[in-house]
Amino acid sequence: MDAPVTFDAELLRRYDRPGPRYTSYPTAPQFGPQFTEERFRAAALRSNAEPIPSDLSLYVHVPFCVSPCFYCGCTRIITRDRARGGLYLERLIREVGMVAPLFDRDRDVIQLHFGGGTPNFLDVGELAALVGSLGRHFHFSDRADRDFSIELDPRTLAPGDVGRLAALGLNRASLGVQDFDPEVQRAVNRIQGVEQTLAVIEECRASGMRSVNVDLIYGLPKQTLEGFARTLDALLAARPDRLAIYGYAHLPELFKGQRQIEATDLPDAALRLELLQLAVQTLTTQGYRFIGMDHFALPGDDLSKAQAAGGLHRNFMGYTIHDDCDLVGLGVSSISHIGDSFSQSYRDLPTWERAIDEGRLPVWRGIELDTDDVLRADIIQQLMCQGEIDIARTEEQFGIGFRAYFPEALAKLSALAADGLVTVEPGRIAATSRGRFLLRIIAMCFDRYLATSQAPRYSRAI
Amino acid sequence: MAVPAPGRGQPIADDGDQFNFCSTCAFSGACLDAGVDKGRLRELHMLVEHTSPCRTGEHLFREGDPFNAIAAVRSGTVKTYVTDADGREQVRGFFLPGEVIGLDAISESRYPCNAIALEPVVLCRFSFPNLSSLAARMPGLQQHLFRLLSHDIGNAALLAGNHTAEDRMAAFLIGLSRRYGARGFRADRFQLTMSRADIANYLRLAAETVSRILRRFQDERLVRVRRREIELLDLPRLEKAALTVLRS
Repeated sequence: MDAPVTFDAELLRRYDRPGPRYTSYPTAPQFGPQFTEERFRAAALRSNAEPIPSDLSLYVHVPFCVSPCFYCGCTRIITRDRARGGLYLERLIREVGMVAPLFDRDRDVIQLHFGGGTPNFLDVGELAALVGSLGRHFHFSDRADRDFSIELDPRTLAPGDVGRLAALGLNRASLGVQDFDPEVQRAVNRIQGVEQTLAVIEECRASGMRSVNVDLIYGLPKQTLEGFARTLDALLAARPDRLAIYGYAHLPELFKGQRQIEATDLPDAALRLELLQLAVQTLTTQGYRFIGMDHFALPGDDLSKAQAAGGLHRNFMGYTIHDDCDLVGLGVSSISHIGDSFSQSYRDLPTWERAIDEGRLPVWRGIELDTDDVLRADIIQQLMCQGEIDIARTEEQFGIGFRAYFPEALAKLSALAADGLVTVEPGRIAATSRGRFLLRIIAMCFDRYLATSQAPRYSRAI
Repeated sequence: MAVPAPGRGQPIADDGDQFNFCSTCAFSGACLDAGVDKGRLRELHMLVEHTSPCRTGEHLFREGDPFNAIAAVRSGTVKTYVTDADGREQVRGFFLPGEVIGLDAISESRYPCNAIALEPVVLCRFSFPNLSSLAARMPGLQQHLFRLLSHDIGNAALLAGNHTAEDRMAAFLIGLSRRYGARGFRADRFQLTMSRADIANYLRLAAETVSRILRRFQDERLVRVRRREIELLDLPRLEKAALTVLRS
């Protein structure tokens, strides 16, 4: 995917329709209650039985936030009561004690990510206890390229916190910014200063963290081109290694917090596109590489290098350089991907707590992939990471004839090809430079479940 | 929605009928060599009893059970093992489609080991008294039984001796490759249907060592491992490493 990305507003407008983000295939709406605790244990056993069991990737969810950002669609609990963090931590550590023994000790943890909510709702001492517990129950890799990362809210960090987190072994940080425009910040209930944010980026660098990611959102209420341009300028002065530009999905019927946002304050479709275009042009002019979906990185960043070498992968935590890890989710609502299975823990805190208290794994729902799912997941992964499908390799690996197996997908693709999103050749199907912003639209052609799931569950493509 | 299943499944023999053996049948060679007439062939077929599938983890027989039938694996993999005085499992061997289990029970009339299905398994059972009496009238079948018996002993000797872990692993892979190849399946790419722990136990290695060696083989481009699937990329070099073991 070395071709430059071309911003084609007309095309993007035409394809601005709801679609999954494909952090998994099948996507979460396909998970069901037939996937139980026993299935989870069996999947872990099977994964240990592989001749070379995969390395592990741990995701830990901390659901608490001190105040609600109105745009947020994550599983979170708003509270100022810090004691709740301590109680949650106790149970998390018990969950680690139940889950870790399911995995053979020689399986290294190569990736660790704290997400939320706000992971730094827990204080540094609590996070140290958690990392300590994880390190005792699992085996942390000592490879230099291991990724141990944490999402940070700059508003709730005390001076010196970042250095102490780095000392725990965390080597990547991800900061939420969204937009620095005060009008927008008021409308989404997230007041966060430029100085405060840049100081945290500096602190990450000073304490030796390998990379800093910043999340921005376009399509927020009250957002303007001028304001967003100022946000980009202020941020790019600090040259974060990675940037994610997410499109805000207004789904108030699904996410209660979003009901605080006045629909009339939202930018219209044309402005949304202009905001995205502004971000893409600014970033590419400033030397950032487009990684895929909504992600950009500096050329020297591991993601850019992996993409150039064809070694880019994608999981629930986004893009990664680590191949085929088994992903173990810990904490409320977290998602696991063990072997050919996906599963998710209980999403509401009391149910999750009860399971832990009763010594049960908090498995809520999941799915076991059949061979058709595995094949389609591989194709979607190729698209999301390389921007193209290698037909010969796919046929060889899965023992299929591509044309005979995918008549419907190919029919849908030919319409996209006519619009210039993809080229379909005998050996490969590739997103064009204009289609690279619409990878999910291309991937949807291969999604067997789309016909049966309800559209409003997904955010729009742009 | 009807979609053809991707062809990554396990080898399974074609169905036989009254006059034709399943394509992998352990006995298919017995009669053809010796020019057995159709009637006799039919008699042999009449002895065959396709069992209902065994579930993963189900025991086909246990040590000490009375022996009355040998069985050919039609699909799936069977592991045999014994338990030592300390209660530790010792893996004896793995049986692939087309291979015969129970031969080592003939002398004592009791099974000397346990047999467990590592995945769903379908067997063809041959009642041993009936097979013996037929063999008495069918020299080809008799000879074939002897061949199977001596081959079974050879398999057991495969991993004795003082060889490096790498050579034993190479011998194990080459052994599987030859056995799949001999029955018309791909010899250079197959699923390792037994667990890492079972391979380790069989080769008398630690589980971590199994993975470490395979990772080294992979770095040296001898093999490629993708989940349970293994591809032998450099058969000549693997054969060479395996030779010291297979010769002894």
